[in-house]
Amino acid sequence: MSSLVFYLLTVAIFFCIYCIYGWGLNLQFGLTGILDFTYITFVAIGAYFAGVAALQPGNGGLGEQYILGLHLPFPIPPIIGGIVAAVLAILIGYVGLKRLRSDYLAIVTVSVGQIVWTLIGNITPLFNGWDGISGVPQPFNSVFQLDFNHYQWVFLVICILFAVLGFLIIERLTHSPFGRVLRAIREDENVAAALGKNVFRYKMMAFVIGSIYAGVGGALTIAYIGAYNPSGFTTMETFIIWAAMLVGGSGNNRGMILGAFLVPVLFNEGTRFLPSPPGNPLLAESIRGMAIGLLLIFAARFRPQGILPERKTVFRLDGLQQGGEAGGDRLVPQ
Amino acid sequence: MAIVSFPSSILKVTNLAKSFGGVKAINDVSFIVREGTVTGLIGPNGAGKSSVVNAISGFTRVDRGVVELAGHDITNQAPHRIAARGLIRSFQIARELQKLTVLENMMVAPFQQLGESPWRALISRRAVMREEREHLAEAVDWLQMFNLFALRDEYAGNLSGGQKKLLELARALMAKPKVVLLDEPMAGVNPTLTKTLQGYISRLRDQGVTFLLIEHNLSVVEAICDHVVVLAEGAVLAEGQMNELRETEEVISAYLGG
Ligand SMILES: Nc1ncnc2c1ncn2[C@@H]1O[C@H](COP(=O)(O)OP(=O)(O)OP(=O)(O)O)[C@@H](O)[C@H]1O
Ligand SMILES: [Mg+2]
Repeated sequence: MSSLVFYLLTVAIFFCIYCIYGWGLNLQFGLTGILDFTYITFVAIGAYFAGVAALQPGNGGLGEQYILGLHLPFPIPPIIGGIVAAVLAILIGYVGLKRLRSDYLAIVTVSVGQIVWTLIGNITPLFNGWDGISGVPQPFNSVFQLDFNHYQWVFLVICILFAVLGFLIIERLTHSPFGRVLRAIREDENVAAALGKNVFRYKMMAFVIGSIYAGVGGALTIAYIGAYNPSGFTTMETFIIWAAMLVGGSGNNRGMILGAFLVPVLFNEGTRFLPSPPGNPLLAESIRGMAIGLLLIFAARFRPQGILPERKTVFRLDGLQQGGEAGGDRLVPQ
Repeated sequence: MAIVSFPSSILKVTNLAKSFGGVKAINDVSFIVREGTVTGLIGPNGAGKSSVVNAISGFTRVDRGVVELAGHDITNQAPHRIAARGLIRSFQIARELQKLTVLENMMVAPFQQLGESPWRALISRRAVMREEREHLAEAVDWLQMFNLFALRDEYAGNLSGGQKKLLELARALMAKPKVVLLDEPMAGVNPTLTKTLQGYISRLRDQGVTFLLIEHNLSVVEAICDHVVVLAEGAVLAEGQMNELRETEEVISAYLGG
């Protein structure tokens, strides 16, 4: 297989995974207005737990230390990844979502992200510290026995299945009365409360469902790469997902697909091959960050709603049972 | 007195007090609202009317006093719990959900919709859609009544000030409240429509809905309020029927005289 095909397959896989990340963040911020500045931490937690759920018990033969080691078959690890991310979201949500002010959660998430990152790096028995875990088995490959190149196709199919399912679920939620309450909360929490909606509960649900997307996406990531360490979940990663959402169109799941293509794929991958001058290996990385930053600034200036803004909901009214003159006796129902 | 024939109180406020720093917004306020009446709450600017509505509906914690709704103590309960008991309030400065359309603003209002559960939204799509159609039909009726039907697919943030007030009222009524607290619902609404709204409120009252109405226009108050409470400086100054109150000296000096 040519290396170009190999590369394109890798990009396609990450494109699917970034879509999944993006839809989760979009539910949290685009729909509900929750400022989650540590989305990547939920990705990481999902990845790690899915990893140790799939790994052999003990030290995996590589001398790595990690908890669990349940040796569970796919798709159980992603389910575990999603659940653990959800549990973390509930804990953080209880601290951060009770307050009316959205910046409160923002600060809580930033701090929690730092704490989790530092703990995972420093407590080696958890997930092998800064070196991270590796050797996570590829889903189903004990059955297929393919080499890594051909296995790419299998994994792409798996990712597409997850992405399609993820899209169908998020779309249905977005355009349901549930999604409408979330948008009402985003616009004005007090109005939602005055209409009997339990704002804290809805924000918690949005936060948790979004985090499940993060956790499952993280589980796919580790299943694909086979390894994960703290350099995989820095603040830069959260920034990329945010940028993808804002550029693509927050509140619009299709815009999110576009954003996932533009930011992580085109901008992040596209700048990966910039030549790095000798003696300055970090230059390309910095240019990447700057390029995404510039893209964000341009988007904010010329397309503040994103390229595909949130779509207006237009109800079809044909065939409604209308009450006739001034609502007839339905004026006060019941 | 004619009042004897009214049904019992559905909303009872006893010795309510609330200070903001040094400002006593509510000093010591007690009154009742009888079921199926329109009770007016009037008083000069800064008298504490909105504060009373905020206190009843759970939007500000009171320092002292008791609020009872249909016999239940709801003092300092969370706003959504109070709303769930059938008490819906509107806001003095209209709070439209800007990036929702006019129809969507209406559709948020019904309480405990099936599809508000994410799980049900996913698996019970048909039942959810059926319920949506029912709510949609009601919403359309309300919007037609309030002359907002043509704007149904407009973002609520694009409405004019008066239209926003109308939407605020329509949305409150869409929630099928038992008790409605309206904070100057007709401020900024044109006279013809104000008349129409008065008609709706009276009609709803006749069907058993209870209103507490803050209103500065005394001829509106006189026309639709069965009973009026006059607030001044955070305390009840007088109460009775509007035509009696017009003759009361304290009311005249505190309010009507200016
Ligand atoms: N959140 C707050 N913080 C500080 N002071 C407040 C607050 N809310 C109300 N007040 C004060 O309480 C007093 C009563 O205000 P309130 O809004 O209840 O008056 P009102 O009767 O509704 O007046 P208006 O007719 O102008 O709407 C005012 O002096 C106001 O400044
Ligand atoms: Mg007021």
